[in-house]
Amino acid sequence: MSLPFSIPRIWTLATATVTQLLRMKIMAFLLVFCVIVVAAGFAFPVMNPEQQLKLLKDVSLGALQVFSMVIAICATALLLPRDLEDRTLYTILSKPVPRFEYLLGKLFGVLILIGAGLVIMDIAFSAVLWLRESLVLAQSVAALQQEGTATPEAISQIKAIVGKQGLTWNLHLGVVAIFFKAAVITALTLMISCFASSTLFTIVISFLITIAGHGQGLIREYFLTGQAGVFKKLFSLLLAIVTPDMAVFDIVDNVINGELVTLPSFGLMTGIATAYVVGYSVVSHLLFVEKEL
Amino acid sequence: MKRHLQALAVLLLLGAVKLPLEEATTQRFRATGLLSTPLSLGLRENLSQMGFAASLGGLRSLVATITYLQAFQAWENVNWGRVDSLFQLTTSLQPRYTNYWDEASWHMAYNAASYYLQDEKTEPFVRGKLSEEHVKRGIAILKEGLRYLPDDARLWHSLAEIYERRSHEPRLAAEAYLQVYRITKNNRYVRFAAYQYAETADPQLWKKAYDYLRSSYEKKSQRTPSLLDTLKKLEERLKIPMMQRIPDQRKPMEIAPTELGPVK
Repeated sequence: MSLPFSIPRIWTLATATVTQLLRMKIMAFLLVFCVIVVAAGFAFPVMNPEQQLKLLKDVSLGALQVFSMVIAICATALLLPRDLEDRTLYTILSKPVPRFEYLLGKLFGVLILIGAGLVIMDIAFSAVLWLRESLVLAQSVAALQQEGTATPEAISQIKAIVGKQGLTWNLHLGVVAIFFKAAVITALTLMISCFASSTLFTIVISFLITIAGHGQGLIREYFLTGQAGVFKKLFSLLLAIVTPDMAVFDIVDNVINGELVTLPSFGLMTGIATAYVVGYSVVSHLLFVEKEL
Repeated sequence: MKRHLQALAVLLLLGAVKLPLEEATTQRFRATGLLSTPLSLGLRENLSQMGFAASLGGLRSLVATITYLQAFQAWENVNWGRVDSLFQLTTSLQPRYTNYWDEASWHMAYNAASYYLQDEKTEPFVRGKLSEEHVKRGIAILKEGLRYLPDDARLWHSLAEIYERRSHEPRLAAEAYLQVYRITKNNRYVRFAAYQYAETADPQLWKKAYDYLRSSYEKKSQRTPSLLDTLKKLEERLKIPMMQRIPDQRKPMEIAPTELGPVK
């Protein structure tokens, strides 16, 4: 008899997963992140104001990306083997819990953890950026006043230049794009861990696919340009089909430079991320449903 | 086994469906500036393996910042060759960031060029040649940057200034100033272009300069001393009929103190 789909059951599994991961001291990365942000925020005072703010954004958002990718792969790869080792998996599945609910609970647990981590880091980063922006602006205006050139036009120009590199809503959309990428990597790693023989295998393969996914644009071009031989083209086609295109979520590089994320672009990114998470979850279920435990 | 085949089928189906969608999305994002063009594989020779992997892994901006900081350090050590090559890397990683192009050209056309010009260890002829080459390099950097950012007023302005102050090519400087005007619609750049046309040896360009300045002259707020001075010179050179000339500028009478009589 098949059990009805239960959201409260999935939620219970997700929160248990979050607790399990927190006990692994995964969030210690947050402390490291705060140190990096503060250091980047106040290092290199000799650079021009625009560049100082850009450096802070580059370093902070880079650290956010690294955090989310590492947690997505390592935490997810650890989940199933740890549950098998602890025999928690048998306890859960001996109760009326369908396997796909167990998988969804694990997936959402990791996503909640990554999402919460990104929110905390985004708040810390935004606070330091805002503070730095105010300081840089005050310094620049003071310098103008000292030179006797603090005309309203000059001050408003300085404000515009500093403001462009300062805190904007657009930056938060960049952080959401980082979350989307992490969600795809999480779903991918969960899928791999459903057939993998060891944690190490899952981590290595997931990292490889993630890296290949970032170069998928190149792979696709190689396949589409038609300069390669038949075998090379077939191989590149297979790679392009199997690996997700991670570069689609790499808008953060250009968001830092002030490019605006429009609603249709954001919608496209959301759609692609959702398609991957759903697709990989379906494959995970098909692999896990008959897996001998 | 059946489930495994189903899983494979779903994976392949997902891949086949997503391929055209991702290609379209990538093209769209590149067109709107949200995504950069893919990294050239030639970059791999210059970046370390780690740097290349990181930039491929969505950390291009961060790698660009690191190479920029290295360039900054090379500048402090007055190593111009390294400054140039590191800025080449930086601009290749982030070609849509104006500041990198502008700063790279400034280092070459101003700092490096002046350094070589004043380097007393080098022969005077070689000094001039090296300085000139670095000015040309600065121009080449800006031209390359303008391929990516053709509507960037700051880059056109920097190019105009280099032509005006470093390579002394007034016609090209004027054309660059006109590009700044095209983008900003600020009339002062038309005047700047006219001043540069006036510096050339071509009477046709003098006429162009005269027309631009004459139309600026009609707006009273734009009658700056430079405009009046240049217009007067052009009227002389172009032999403009007296009736069409602008009125002479009033000059304060200068009387030497010795020629002043006793105050009564």
